[in-house]
Amino acid sequence: MNLYLRDSLRSMGVSFRNLFRKPTTIDFPTVRRPRPERFRASFALLHDETGDEACVGCKACERICPSNIITVDLIKRESPVTGKKRSYASDFVLDANACIYCELCVQVCPTDAIVMVKVAEEPEFSRRALVLTMERLYANEKLRPLSYANATKLAAMQAPAVAAKPEGES
Amino acid sequence: MMNPWLRALVYALLICTVILTLTAWSIWFERKFAGRMQSRLGPTFYGPAGLAQPIMDALKLLQKEWLIPETADRWLFILAPPLTVILALGSAAVIPFSATVVAADLDIGVLYLLALGSLMVIPVWVAGWSSNNKYAMLGAMRAVAQGVSYEIPLVLASLVPVILAGSMSLSDIVRYQMEHGWFVAWPPGPGLIAFLFFLPASLAEANRIPFDIPEAESELIAGVTTEYTGMGFGFLYLAEYLHTLIVSAVASALFFGGWDGPFRPGLHWMVLKTLLLFAGIFWVRWSLVRFRSDQLMKLCWRYMVPAGLVLVMSAGLWVFFRGGQP
Amino acid sequence: MAMTQTSPVTAGWADPYLDIEAYDPEADLMVLNLGPQHPSTHGVFRLKLYLDGEIIVKVVPFAGYLHRGVEKLCEKLTMVQLPPIFDKNDYVSPMMNEQSLVMSFEALLGIEVPRRARYLRTILAELQRIASHLLWLGAFAMDLGGALGGGSTLFLYCFRERELILDLFEELTGGRFHYNTHLIGGNRHDVPVGWDPKVYAALDVIEARLVEYEDFLTRNQIYIDRTRGVGVVDAELAMNLGITGPVLRAAGVDHDLRRDAPYHCYDEIDVRVVTATAGDCEARGTVRLGEMRESIRLVRELLPGLPTGPLGARKPIKTPLAEKASKGHAYACVESPRGELGVYTIGGGDNKGASPYRLKIRSPSLHVLSCLPYVLPGQSVSDAVAVLGSLDPIMGEVDR
Repeated sequence: MNLYLRDSLRSMGVSFRNLFRKPTTIDFPTVRRPRPERFRASFALLHDETGDEACVGCKACERICPSNIITVDLIKRESPVTGKKRSYASDFVLDANACIYCELCVQVCPTDAIVMVKVAEEPEFSRRALVLTMERLYANEKLRPLSYANATKLAAMQAPAVAAKPEGES
Repeated sequence: MMNPWLRALVYALLICTVILTLTAWSIWFERKFAGRMQSRLGPTFYGPAGLAQPIMDALKLLQKEWLIPETADRWLFILAPPLTVILALGSAAVIPFSATVVAADLDIGVLYLLALGSLMVIPVWVAGWSSNNKYAMLGAMRAVAQGVSYEIPLVLASLVPVILAGSMSLSDIVRYQMEHGWFVAWPPGPGLIAFLFFLPASLAEANRIPFDIPEAESELIAGVTTEYTGMGFGFLYLAEYLHTLIVSAVASALFFGGWDGPFRPGLHWMVLKTLLLFAGIFWVRWSLVRFRSDQLMKLCWRYMVPAGLVLVMSAGLWVFFRGGQP
Repeated sequence: MAMTQTSPVTAGWADPYLDIEAYDPEADLMVLNLGPQHPSTHGVFRLKLYLDGEIIVKVVPFAGYLHRGVEKLCEKLTMVQLPPIFDKNDYVSPMMNEQSLVMSFEALLGIEVPRRARYLRTILAELQRIASHLLWLGAFAMDLGGALGGGSTLFLYCFRERELILDLFEELTGGRFHYNTHLIGGNRHDVPVGWDPKVYAALDVIEARLVEYEDFLTRNQIYIDRTRGVGVVDAELAMNLGITGPVLRAAGVDHDLRRDAPYHCYDEIDVRVVTATAGDCEARGTVRLGEMRESIRLVRELLPGLPTGPLGARKPIKTPLAEKASKGHAYACVESPRGELGVYTIGGGDNKGASPYRLKIRSPSLHVLSCLPYVLPGQSVSDAVAVLGSLDPIMGEVDR
């Protein structure tokens, strides 16, 4: 019986010691933790250096998505920046309800147009509100902090020729 | 001198109100305390530091639908939870909160408490039986076995202060301790061991971890309380906390000197000791895993009952060799 | 009682699925469903118990509540798209799932993985093993002690330490729980700057806290009473049912894929295999705690020696049809925290061979759960819960 007593006191000692440690949890949602560089939470479509939309509507992301949540429509029109005709995405819909956050769409983009962002979309009351339209995706470029990875950087991390040093970025 | 009936009514209302409020806020205290022990914040949302949490819990439970299963025994099902609360509150009548604040200073205070403790097994069993649910039935059977078995060490442990003080009235026991030193410390030996028996035995009566097999959540979903929703569950939950609070009050009266203190004895000492013991019981709850039912029975019958008998004998011998009661 | 068992080893055992009336028509037994909705069945798993009072007489397990058709889905998606789907199999240790899948594809396609990727995979596998065992310990304590009691305290401590590892994974890959960091031919994400010191710091903390957990739980007499002699899976039963992993090693069989059939870079290091002899719940706990310590030691040994070099053997993926296999078949297995997790692929499916023709997952938890009808009869309901917890099944990979 004294075995029970002795072991119980030992267990109680452990929990007592933890009473004085700083709690691990934070008072979410008043306090939020910063996320690391590569965190994958939502999406953004980018403009390139000239200010033009980077997405060329090639549908590579639509083909590779394992959950089939991306829908892209291709259109050819004149670019407002260079004046030349090039292909664009007339509509880009990403259903964030079914996304599994695998980052494959980011990897395959030939123009580094789609990237992930570090801050998730706000919770909504209807599923339709979480279907990200093209305006929202382009708005996320400024609205949310971009994650580290885009297609070029991911390829650089994997490519045989480039990665000679073990250090990555960030 | 007031009309004794009026006095009794006033005291009853006062004690009910105070104790029920204390129990409600003990829920807050437990969640905060447990949270800090588990390296997390407890409730923080309602009120400053989450102090309004019990109010919100109560409101939530009140507005829930009271689902009574069709095959359940309807009247017993509804009757069981309030009965547990009534019995638990009834025990508060004899507790001496201070020299003057005591609702009913019965000569047989300890006997009354033990009797109510034994009665408290019945509503738990009724709740399990009337639910018509196998999990509840298993929980109820375990509750009866455990509750009935652990009464014996409880009685034996409570007998030690009674023998040493020479009276069953709780106020007398406290007054004896005021003159002769708290029982947990003097006489060295029987008092401390009696306390170490009293506490687990009353934890077993109150179905607290490590003896909470009847409501073992990981095995029996919610055991006895499986079918209860809304305020029925609220009552059973409340009764558990009430019983624990009463147990800590009784333990501090029997073993720790009640309202006695190094300076200015009074109500505040009693409250302080009760709350400290209450926190200690929570501490035990959040640190230990539970016993299996047959191990629990083995602990009671093979270890605590024989040791308890030896303990009572030693207390008697102490009194004898000191030459009887003062 | 005509039985169809022919094996001399199992001839003496009663058939657990025999109809109960056949051997005791007078029995008045209570049927209790430790049903799909239960706080302790580690996922949706139904265990039909025939009880005599509190003693279990017969056990009939029902799995399949979490069947999602993963193997069928694998025939539709291409090999390049499969790793993120495979994370969700054994959802507690996703690194192992991805690794077994890409190893199987690499064996099918004949790809040699560069040395840096193999080292990184080993490190990630061992870190994942620590995280998975921490979760097991927390869940086991909850089974024993309840969500409103001592069990949940240990659960939260284990999760606090597991968060350290998940934070490391988050820095490396971007995902906390499902990573998609392996691809055919290598790894996707490389080690970021400043990752190494964080790993060492996390390992130091975990090692110190393991001592606390032992003080809290495994040295506690109440825990020992609950787990010693309970749910004994002996070596013969384990080997006959195909059980691998900590359950087998707790029964005394010294078998560990990392040492006996090395993959990644396990042939370059010395893996000390932890075994126990009793085969009961306590032994399984000891084995898992020992494995945690061993994994900590391995990561400490491997991380400074991470070789330089490329991380992928192929060009970075730009299309789902990047890898095609027209024929052939391959089996690759890893030592997951639950046992031998294997993937068998037959190439040459849809999409001009870019999808597998058939993909079969050998899940360790399924074999482990099949020992329940042999182990549980004679024990009480509380023991059933303790045994189920100590076996550590994950229903995602049982049902796929």
